[in-house]
Amino acid sequence: MKLSKIYKSSIFLKSIFVVSIFAIFFISAITFKHISLLNNSSKWVTHSYDINLELERLMSYIKDAETGQRGFLITKDSTFLVPYITSKKKIDRSFALVKSYIKNNPAQEDNVRKLQFFINKRQNYLSSILHLSLNKSLSDKELKKKLIIGKETMDSVRSQINEMILLEKKTLKGRELYYKDTIKVTPVFVYITLLITLLLISISYMRITKDLEKLQISNNSLVVLNESNNLAEIVGSFGSWQLNIDTKEYTFSDNSYRLLGFEPKAFFASQENFMKYVHSEDLSAFRDASSKMIENGNLAPFTYRAIRKDKKIRYFRTTARIVTNKSGEEILIGTTSDVTEEVLASLSLEQQNIELEASNKELVAFNYVASHDLQEPLRKIQTFVSRLADKEYDNLSDSGKEFMTRINNSVERMRILIDDLLQYSRTTKIEKVFESTDLNDLFENAKSDLLQSIEEKSAVIKSDKLPVMTVISFQIQQLFVNLIGNSLKYSKADTIPKIKILCKKVIASEEELLPKKTKDKFYKITFTDNGIGFEQEYAEKIFILFNRLHNKNEYVGTGIGLAICKKIVENHKGFIFAQGKPNVGATFTIYLPEDNS
Amino acid sequence: MDTDYIHIILADDDEDDRLLFTDAFEEMKINTKVNTFNDGVELMDYLNNPNAVLPNVLFLDLNMPKKNGIECLNEIKKNARFNDIAIAIFSTSSSEEHIEETFVQGANIYIKKPSDFATLKKVLSDVVTINWQYYTSGLNRDNFLLRF
Repeated sequence: MKLSKIYKSSIFLKSIFVVSIFAIFFISAITFKHISLLNNSSKWVTHSYDINLELERLMSYIKDAETGQRGFLITKDSTFLVPYITSKKKIDRSFALVKSYIKNNPAQEDNVRKLQFFINKRQNYLSSILHLSLNKSLSDKELKKKLIIGKETMDSVRSQINEMILLEKKTLKGRELYYKDTIKVTPVFVYITLLITLLLISISYMRITKDLEKLQISNNSLVVLNESNNLAEIVGSFGSWQLNIDTKEYTFSDNSYRLLGFEPKAFFASQENFMKYVHSEDLSAFRDASSKMIENGNLAPFTYRAIRKDKKIRYFRTTARIVTNKSGEEILIGTTSDVTEEVLASLSLEQQNIELEASNKELVAFNYVASHDLQEPLRKIQTFVSRLADKEYDNLSDSGKEFMTRINNSVERMRILIDDLLQYSRTTKIEKVFESTDLNDLFENAKSDLLQSIEEKSAVIKSDKLPVMTVISFQIQQLFVNLIGNSLKYSKADTIPKIKILCKKVIASEEELLPKKTKDKFYKITFTDNGIGFEQEYAEKIFILFNRLHNKNEYVGTGIGLAICKKIVENHKGFIFAQGKPNVGATFTIYLPEDNS
Repeated sequence: MDTDYIHIILADDDEDDRLLFTDAFEEMKINTKVNTFNDGVELMDYLNNPNAVLPNVLFLDLNMPKKNGIECLNEIKKNARFNDIAIAIFSTSSSEEHIEETFVQGANIYIKKPSDFATLKKVLSDVVTINWQYYTSGLNRDNFLLRF
């Protein structure tokens, strides 16, 4: 923002500069014109003065001639004739000069002609009088007459010269007036122009000062920004760099050098120089990435190894993006960060994960194989014991028969334990296939699995209609088997077991048992029996693996069944809870999310 | 094969199981002829002999050395000559994978080896007296595993 303002203001300053230059040119042109005008007019003044001077000089020459003649006439001394003769020449010269001065001035030329006429006339009279007096043929009366005519002619010359001087003065006056008119407005005009120019220059000065201040401020913040950037690069162990696409010039930040173990500006910033420190095995990948980067104008995070100055191998990650600056240059801006710790951590995590996965698989396999392979010898023990009991029972002593029963019980217990363990290991196995299943079918299958036990105890099982859900079907069937089996197992000896299964759709927020913020809708399925029940304080303990509430002589059980139930419900992102009251019965409540995707 | 006895073959590497198996048939009142083989290779060698008397029912253990039950089942199902043999899988395992796989491969029934002799006798007697044509037509994934 600030920068763009300054750019705009520089355009403003440039225009002010151009305007000022033009104004100065204008002022100098006007001044030049006026100076030459002044020069001209003074020339005219001199000219008029010259003319007037010459005219007066002419007049005085004429007077000289007359004075000389008069002196001669009175004294008859020929020395008086000398000025008369010289003045004649002088008059001619002076007259020629006047004539040349007034060239191109028609009014004065006309006057000069008249003047010449009068002068000639006067000269003629002078010379004729002189002739007459030399020959003594002139009477006083005639002389007087001639002198009067001479005087009259002289008056005409005088008045003619005066007229010319007057005319010249008038012309001069006219010129002066014109000059004054022209020159009168100029100083004001020049003054105004000068003022405007000064104003413009002042504005631009203020503007420049303001811009300088702004530049100073942004410079200061740039310095701060730069410094904090440097600090951030050091703390975050990354370096930034730039590549000018057009000039192919690189710039590395100080920390870019430090990442490689160098002092800032330790080597010339170029790709070749940087690549000297790239691990040889990653060089070709680095080259590929670099050429792709210039081609595409960006670089997705690319990780490679670098060898520092101290020969330590570090993992670097570089990413870059192209930007176009105000001058229209394309600049690739990139950062390189030292991600060694991150990479090493993720490598070791990966390794640990692989190991963990392997050990998990091993454990599952071990669990499965152990329980599966244990079944075989056990089954044979049972079979042979059953054959013994069948065939040799009568040959045994009473204690032998007793031992036989105890062996049988122990073996039976072991078989159940192994069966349950196998069951549990299956529920924890990783592959889980969810499919849309009618829970009523699973429920019927569960009942038929337990048919023998149900018939033995004449149990009454009543169930609501169950929904169709996306579940791991064999696990849900197992869940039903375990829950119903549990109710049958812990039934009261003298009472017909009654098991009631209720099902309804509920909203999580309305159920006290459910944690908040769980999936909105659940199916709530409750299994209620009239069995021996349990103390409510054990409600959570019974779901823990191998936890039992009863002595194994009272009730056959492994402490695995309900743990399996919990596992299965958790596999379906559901919840299971138990409520019990001794000698009244137990209720198991399961919540299965409606949508399991 | 119109004979007055039911010809039965068991392939099982476990000596005890073979003994219990033959004992069970001996104690039954059904006229049967029982042949046993120690592994899949022996079984297939016998069956592949063109002169061999083919059994009515073949009991296959799954876990056998050299050639296991699944491999035998595979070979038998590929050969049209053995189309009339009813194949009963007879295994300690009742894992879903085994049941699923043998069902898909075309076995007729899956028996988990019982853990007392009386049940064994009952199961074997039930299986060998099944009307296989009728049973196979109604065979599905749910009644494939014999429940006892």
